[in-house]
Formats: sequence, structure tokens, C-alpha cells
Amino acid sequence: MMDQIAEQISLIGQRIPKPDGAAKVLGRTQYINDMVLHRMLIGKILRTDRVHARILRLDISKAAALPGVHAVITGDDTPMIGIGVNKDNPPLKSGTVRCIRDEIAAVAAETEAIADQALALIEVEYEDLPAVFDPAEALEDSAPQLHEDKPGNVGLSYNISYGDIAAGEAESDVVLDETYDLHYVTHCCMGPGCVLAEFDAMGKLTIYSQTQYPYNFKMDLAPTLGIHPGDIRVIQPPVGGAFGSKLDVYPFEPICAFLAQKTRRPVKLVFSREEEFIASPTRQPVRAHIRAGAKKDGTLTFRDVNCLLNNGGYTSWGATVPYVMMRTFSGHFRVPNVEFKSTAVYTNNPFAGSFRGYGNVQATYVTATLMDKMAEAVGMNPIAFRLKNAQEPGEVTPQGSLLKDCALADCITIAAEKTDFLKIYAANAKVETGRYRRGIGIATSLHNAGGAKIHKSDGCGTILTMDDYARVTLITGASEIGQGIDAVITQIVAEELGVPMASITIVNDDSAIGPWDVGVHASRTTFIAGNGARRAAIKAKAQILAAASKEANVPAEEMELRGGHVVQSDNGVSIIRLDRLLRAMHFAGEDAELVMVTDYYEPPSEPEGDNHYGDMSAAYAHAAYVAEVEVDTMTGHVRVEKMTVVQDVGRVVNGLGIEGQIEGGIAMSIGYGLTEDLRIEKGIVKNPSFRDYKVATAPEMPEIAYHFIENDTPEGPFGAKGIAELPAIVPAPAIANAVYNAIGVRFDNPPITPEKVARALHGGQDGGDQ
Amino acid sequence: MADIQYQAPEDLAAASALLAGAGGKARILAGGTDLLVQMKFDVVEPTLLIDIKNIAETRTIAEEDGGFRVGAAVPGAELGEDAALAAAWPGVVEAAELIGSTQVQGRASLGGNLCNASPAADSVPAMIAAGAVARVIGPDGQRDVAVEDIATGPGKTSLASGEIVASIFLPKRPANSGDAYLRFIPRTEMDIAVVGVGISLSLDGDGVCTAARVGLGAVAPTALLVDAAADALIGSKLDEAAMDNLAAAVSAACSPIDDKRGTVEFRTDIAGVLARRVASIAFTRAGK
Ligand SMILES: Cc1cc2nc3c(=O)[nH]c(=O)nc-3n(C[C@H](O)[C@H](O)[C@H](O)COP(=O)(O)OP(=O)(O)OC[C@H]3O[C@@H](n4cnc5c(N)ncnc54)[C@H](O)[C@@H]3O)c2cc1C
Repeated sequence: MMDQIAEQISLIGQRIPKPDGAAKVLGRTQYINDMVLHRMLIGKILRTDRVHARILRLDISKAAALPGVHAVITGDDTPMIGIGVNKDNPPLKSGTVRCIRDEIAAVAAETEAIADQALALIEVEYEDLPAVFDPAEALEDSAPQLHEDKPGNVGLSYNISYGDIAAGEAESDVVLDETYDLHYVTHCCMGPGCVLAEFDAMGKLTIYSQTQYPYNFKMDLAPTLGIHPGDIRVIQPPVGGAFGSKLDVYPFEPICAFLAQKTRRPVKLVFSREEEFIASPTRQPVRAHIRAGAKKDGTLTFRDVNCLLNNGGYTSWGATVPYVMMRTFSGHFRVPNVEFKSTAVYTNNPFAGSFRGYGNVQATYVTATLMDKMAEAVGMNPIAFRLKNAQEPGEVTPQGSLLKDCALADCITIAAEKTDFLKIYAANAKVETGRYRRGIGIATSLHNAGGAKIHKSDGCGTILTMDDYARVTLITGASEIGQGIDAVITQIVAEELGVPMASITIVNDDSAIGPWDVGVHASRTTFIAGNGARRAAIKAKAQILAAASKEANVPAEEMELRGGHVVQSDNGVSIIRLDRLLRAMHFAGEDAELVMVTDYYEPPSEPEGDNHYGDMSAAYAHAAYVAEVEVDTMTGHVRVEKMTVVQDVGRVVNGLGIEGQIEGGIAMSIGYGLTEDLRIEKGIVKNPSFRDYKVATAPEMPEIAYHFIENDTPEGPFGAKGIAELPAIVPAPAIANAVYNAIGVRFDNPPITPEKVARALHGGQDGGDQ
Repeated sequence: MADIQYQAPEDLAAASALLAGAGGKARILAGGTDLLVQMKFDVVEPTLLIDIKNIAETRTIAEEDGGFRVGAAVPGAELGEDAALAAAWPGVVEAAELIGSTQVQGRASLGGNLCNASPAADSVPAMIAAGAVARVIGPDGQRDVAVEDIATGPGKTSLASGEIVASIFLPKRPANSGDAYLRFIPRTEMDIAVVGVGISLSLDGDGVCTAARVGLGAVAPTALLVDAAADALIGSKLDEAAMDNLAAAVSAACSPIDDKRGTVEFRTDIAGVLARRVASIAFTRAGK
């Protein structure tokens, strides 16, 4: 008598708690900060207190003599081989320091207290050099030069040109000329920077790292250490946040390895919170000058954009964000003529890295508020004006992004309907008195949602094995940095193999085990690693059904996997229990086989060519967010009351996960728009603490209404698109537009602090633009 | 960090003797919500901590002469639970309850808020407005000191060597009196005051203000008692003209610094704005 196995409700779209959640809530998760290895020492870094200076004398003798100190190293002991995008940043600086975070010496000691004492015993004498902090000033001929091999202080430039700006301008009825100043913010990971390095007796390095790109991390780390990338093993314990801040090698990592090499002992190095604010990368600040035009009927005619980026002393990914910015300026809404120029200029400020949204936070703040200004200038409402310029499915942007299933118009229409936008917008704009004014604002954006081919490969490797008990081990190259890929992959594999989610173990924390993946960035992991996991599961299923077919003499096409059984597709009757089948396959003598499959998924996208042209992602997604705010005209305080989210997500895989990503993104973007400001004055970080750097906290969170557009993008796993960055991109300009609706003032210099609002309303300099 | 001794005496005389004997290297530990943070960042490096939470006087709230004597180490959470106190001095209690979060409220005390001498301490302008008097115990006995005379500058107090604030006395209120405290912060919670204003006032039977005290925080090196602002209210029914005068007097009293929390201009402006609101809340309370 065979059991009938009931058909299972699809796991796709369910609300699945993060598998790592319970341990985190219970305080059982072991972060690198918690790890203790046999013979482990504590590393600490001495940073300069100058913004630009020549080191005249660096005396480590007293520190080295302190009992309990095992090594003191300086730039004289370590190679001057730079890390970072321009390879301009040797881990330990010798000769010259260029910004306040510069590492000049490091110690390894038996305890943290001894390490701190040792740092205090290091004597440094400097000769201060003239410094420059403003990128425009740094371009002047007379400006101090930061790097000998970078004349004129130019770090990186990105330019594109499509169409004809002059022709676009000639046919414009309205031309706007606007300048935006987009500020410094930082990631604020709850877990501060941390690394643990250990060399084995054969000289191979094991590094416990927070990195979000373990495989290329080896490649980037090896040269400065003078070892072979193949001799580096990266182990990734759980991290307390990354958000892009761990997408590069930063000096503390090789420094820790140098200390481990020198002492022949494991060395752990943990940042203090202050260090985290001063010495981890920031979001790229941008001064954007944009000229843009439209015809009377609302048709956009051109965008001419010039961006100046404060590169700081060295070059990490921050300086490359124009790569993403230009896609928004050229591709978000139909713009026939586009020019974009950007220059990242070295200054004596700290430097920026990659950060969730990657340039699109900045570009969308500009475009989404500019769209509102333009609508007003041509006399259209913000919705109609956007719809007029929204692309249709199948359109190709000037840079070659094929918007196959473009949902921009749907996003705008649904957002307007769900919020009764036009009615509220008109009513708010009429109110010109009263202490509290309400405003509503919309913003939209476009982001890659099927990976981003910025490296030679945008792929992800997967290995799937099953044991004799039908337990699945899924080894993926994709890292878990809190974004929730563990849950998503578990769902996908369970869905394909018809096994309980609890029977699946994800392994993705060891570069010696996992196959290559480009890293967690560009909203790519659900799409790329999800596809990889699904393809591996499909291969495993084919192997299992072929074996079952042999065993039971039923054609493979007439069977499926369900509830831990192989069943007949038509009536769900169990043919054989999956674990029994797997054992039968395993112990089949000469024909023995294990289920052990591999997959390397390379998305169908192309790297950019000349003029940055190329269909670089396998899918693109749009979102429209509507913010409703209340402005206290007496204090200038802006409160976000409601955020309506309309986002093309392809298909929801994990309902809880997607809401978590969106909530977190909104919190981050409220911070960007209203409260967060890393104040760097003359190169010095003025507010390196959570007391003075104001992240948005729980009471700042608005009510959130979600509306997902689910059109199953053809290439996505179960139709899913990448969703993770848009929530951190779109809210801030929606809030800025809502503030304008409330009080008639534009702020092109976020954050929109009470002080700026109050000044704009009560008079005084430095307010918004009336 | 050097070795630290910890003592928890059970009476004030012993605590005072320990403090005096340590020659400036000892610190009083009340809730520790300022002190421990400062120790962690090596702002202060005491070798002796004298915990006063085992001393009964510092831990109790008692009615006295129609007013309240509040132990210096009573945590914010307990202040709010004392219904009589909250009814008599809602502004002081609200100010104390603004300090930190639920967790911090379990520890943070009025005595600590006062003796830490931060210009931005929330409860201090409210206590100044209330006419609160600190009872100070020292090697030479006891003295009563107006709350506004405790802080002398950021982190500095008028307490002599060995002196401890044992309690804070909130006087008896005349009929038709009310007080209130508001602060301005950039966020909604868990933030440091950019400006704080406390006002206490009394009305006669016709609703005319007969007495008032205005305390102002975060806009000068210490929290201030602003007589000119009180004068703007006294004799009025808090009409527009009186409110304008109040705001002007409050703004005139501000001598803040430009810092990461706000510029001089903004803090001065917002102080006037807040004062109006605080006055009207206190006025409404007094009328009830
Ligand atoms: C997360 C957080 C949030 C905070 N938010 C706020 C806020 O919103 N508003 C605000 O005003 N403050 C805030 N604070 C600061 C602090 O909580 C308050 O100042 C609190 O009232 C201090 O009280 P305490 O009992 O903890 O003082 P402690 O830290 O114990 O003492 C503070 C100082 O006063 C001295 N001292 C304490 N009691 C006496 C006494 N009886 N006699 C003599 N000296 C004494 C101590 O030696 C020490 O120097 C915050 C602190 C934290 C950690």
C-alpha cells in the first residue's frame, strides 16, 4: 500500500524567517570579535593626527620594549604596494600622510590594554604640508599635490556622451540649471571592522574576514602581502553589517596579516566605534551640476551633468560610483541627449567606498527632485510629467540597457492611485499657514536587478550534495552578510527537491570550500546565486529521477519530487522514499552514484564597451516611492509619516526578507535625507560617535505600505529580480519632494535638518533654495 | 585603565569621608550612565568609585513641608512611578523621563544629571524653574544650595572636596501652579538637547501670572535661570505680547557655541520658539 503525498504549497513567496536569526537574537552568534584562537595576540593601529604631513621621525623603540608587546611595525617594515582601485594606498604609510585615517604603525600585544599602551609610546614628529579639502580647489594649479603619479590630483574620470546636447537645448522650452551638494554619510555597521589573521607553519594565510567578496578579496590582498592568492584561505564568520563597506581590501586587513606573519601567531584586530567612523569608508560625496531641458508638452530634451567627487586621500570604490550614476542620468526616463562627466579629485579628506545604492543614491536624489522641478516649470503635475517620459517595455536606454519588462509607468500609476497623490498634493500645496504642514512627494528610480557585469564574470558557483538521509548540503559562492540569501536559497532548493527546508544546510563561509562568486553587491545575490542554486537543484533532480526511473521502471517525465518522496506526477502516489532511493543509488555496487552536482551560472549580460555602452544586467527594475511628511514650521523638524512602496520585484521569494530589506533601506534613506551627516571639517571627522552622528532610529520609521509588482522576469529564479538597493535609493528624494509640497522650499543639500528648514522659513543664511 | 577600587558605604558621612580622603581621585557613582561612559573613553580615570545607591537618603522620595525631597540617586523610572510627585511637578518628572531610553531610565538620576554638569542636561532647567534646592553633605556638615548654583561650567561644579548631593528638594506649590519642560532634538528620541526650556509659574484667581521661573539649557556653559524671561510673564495672562517678550528674553539670554549640534543662530531662534510652547503648557497646567 503506497502513500499518497499531498501536493505542497509553493514555498516561493512565503514568509520565511532568517535561518541565522534565532542565534543572533539569543546572543549565540560568534562574530570575529568574539573569536579567540590559541596563542592569539591583539593588534592595534596607530593612525596619524595630521591631514597632510611629512613624517620626520617615527620612533617605535619604547613601544617595542614594553613587556607583552610582540611586534611593532611601520611602513619601513612593509612593502609600499598599494591596495584599492588605484593601488594608491599602501597599508602602512611611510614618508607622507594624506588624511586623518592614515595608518602609520601597528602593534601586536598580549592584551588590548598593552597594545593601547604601546601605541601611546610611539613617538612621531611631523612637518605639516599644505592641505586641500575641496575638490574644486584641489584641481587648481596652485593646489597641493597628493600623489606624485597623479598630476593635478585627478583620481578617476568617467564620461559619456549620447545624442547632441546643443540640439536638445535648442528644442527646449524650459532649461533648468541646478547644483546639488551631496554629503558624506557612512555605513554604521553594528559590528565594527574586525579581522583575524593566522599563518600556518607552511606560510599559508587563513584570514577570518568580514569581506563581502571573498574570492577577489584574495586577489586584491595577495600582492601587498607578497604571497600567492592561492595561499590565502578566507573564512567568513557572521558579520554585523556590511552594506558595501566590505567590498574592498582596506589597510587594517593586510596590517593584521603582517602582524601575524611577523609574530607567527594569530592576531585579531578590532575597530573601536570611533575608529569605525573615522577609518571605514564613507558614501561618496558628490557635487553635481546639472542642466536639463524639456518641451512645453513635458518631453525631456537633454541632460548635461558634471560631477565633482571628493576622492579623499586614496581611491576605493567610492570614486567609481559614476559608473552607476551615469546609468540613472542617461537611462531613467527617456532622455534623447545626455552628457555626463565626472572627476574624482584627490583631497586630504578620508575616502569613500562602495555603499548600498552605489552612486544611484546620489543620482536619484538629483534626478527625482529635478523631475519635480521640471514638472513645475512646464506646468504639469508630478505624475503626468513622469508618465509622459516613462519608457515602455522593450525600450533600450542610450547606454544599451534593454528594459525588457519595464514597469516604470505601472509603478508611477499604482503609487499615485494607492496614495490619492494628486488630490493630496494639490490640497497640501494650498495650505500656507499653520504650524504643522503636510506634504506628499514621489520619487522613482531604475537599478540593475539581474547582476551587473563590471568584472569579467558576474557568475556564481554552486555545489549541491545529498547524503544517505536525503539531507542536502548546498555550497554556494555567495556570501551571507545579513541580506538573507541563506533563507532564499533554502526556499529555492526545497522547492525544487521537494524536501523540508530544515533538511538543507547552506555552506558559504570558506573560500577553500566554496566555488567562485564575484561578491555580494549590485543587488545581485538572489538573482545570480538563486539561479545557481536552482539550476544545481534541477540537475540533482534529473539525476534522482533517472535513478528512480531505473529502480521503479516508470518514465522519469511521469515522476516528481514531493514531501521527501519520488511520486507519480498524476496522482501523487509515492513510488519510493527519497532517502531510500539515495541509499540504493549509493550502495549499488559498480553502478554506485552519489548526488553531487555543480553549476556555474553566468548571467546573460555584457560588459560595457566604448562610451560605457552595454546591456550590463540580465534584468532592470524600477520603483516609485511616495513619502508623506509633516513639517513643524516652528522647529523645522520633518517627520515622515508614511512611505508607500511600489517596486517591480519580478517575484517575491521571501516575504519577510523583502520587507526586511525595504524597511532597512528606508531607515538608511531617511538617515541620508534627514539626519545623517558625517561632518568632515578641514579633513577631521567631527562627529565620530552614535551620539553625534544621527542614524534614523525606530521612532523615525514611518508606516510602510507595500505594493509589489510581480511580472516574473524571464531570466530570474522563479521570476525574481534583485531588489535590495532601490529601498535605500528612492525614499530620500521622495521626502525632499514632500517637504517642498509642504513648505515650498527645495533642499539640494541633504540632510534636510531642522536647522536648514528653520533657516529657510525664519530667514538666515544657508537654508534651502526658496 | 588603572586598578579601580569600589566602595558602597551605607551612610553619607562615610561616603563623604571616602571622597574627601581620596584627594580628587574618587568619583561618586549614582546610576553610572554618565560616569561609566566617561571612564570607558578615559575622560575621567578615577581610582575609587563610591557607590551611593546603598544610602537610604539618596534612594527615597519623601514629602516634606508640603514639597518633595527626592534622593539624589533615585532613578528616572521611579520618579515617574510616584504619582504625587508627578502630579505636583509634572515638568520636572517629564524632563527626568526624557533622559535616555527605558534601559537608561532604570539608572539615570537627578543627582547624576545635575552633578555631571553638562549644559545640555535635561532635568536641570526644569529643576531650576521649579526652584529646586540641592542638599549637599560634606566633611563640614550640610548646606542647601540652589540647583542653578551647582554647575559652574561644562563638567565643573561648585561642590567642594568631599561634598555629595544627598537629595533635591522640590518646594511646596501655591494653588494654580504648573510647570513644563521641552527640549529640541533633531530626532524623536535618544538624542541630546540642542536647546531645553523649563518654566514654572503660578496664577492668581483671574489667571494672571503672579510668579514665574524660567530655566534654559544647552545654550550657555551652564543651565541658566533667566529672570528677564520670568519678568516677561509676571503680570500677564500670557498674551501674545508677553509671549513675544518671553521669546525675546530667552533668545537674548542664549550664548551658545557653534557646534555639531547646531549653530548659534539656530539655537537662539529655537530657544524662543520652545519657550513659548513651554509657557503655554505650564499655563494650561496651572489653570487646571
Ligand atoms: C544612552 C544614553 C542616553 C542619555 N540620554 C540623556 C538625555 O536624553 N538627557 C540627559 O540629560 N542626559 C542623558 N544621558 C546622560 C545621563 O544618563 C544623565 O546625565 C543621568 O541623569 C546621569 O545620572 P547617573 O545617575 O547615571 O549619574 P552618574 O553617571 O552616576 O554620575 C554622573 C556624574 O555626577 C557625579 N555624581 C553623581 N551623583 C552624585 C551625587 N549625588 N553627588 C555628587 N556627585 C554625583 C558622578 O561622580 C559623575 O561625575 C544619557 C546617557 C546615556 C548613556
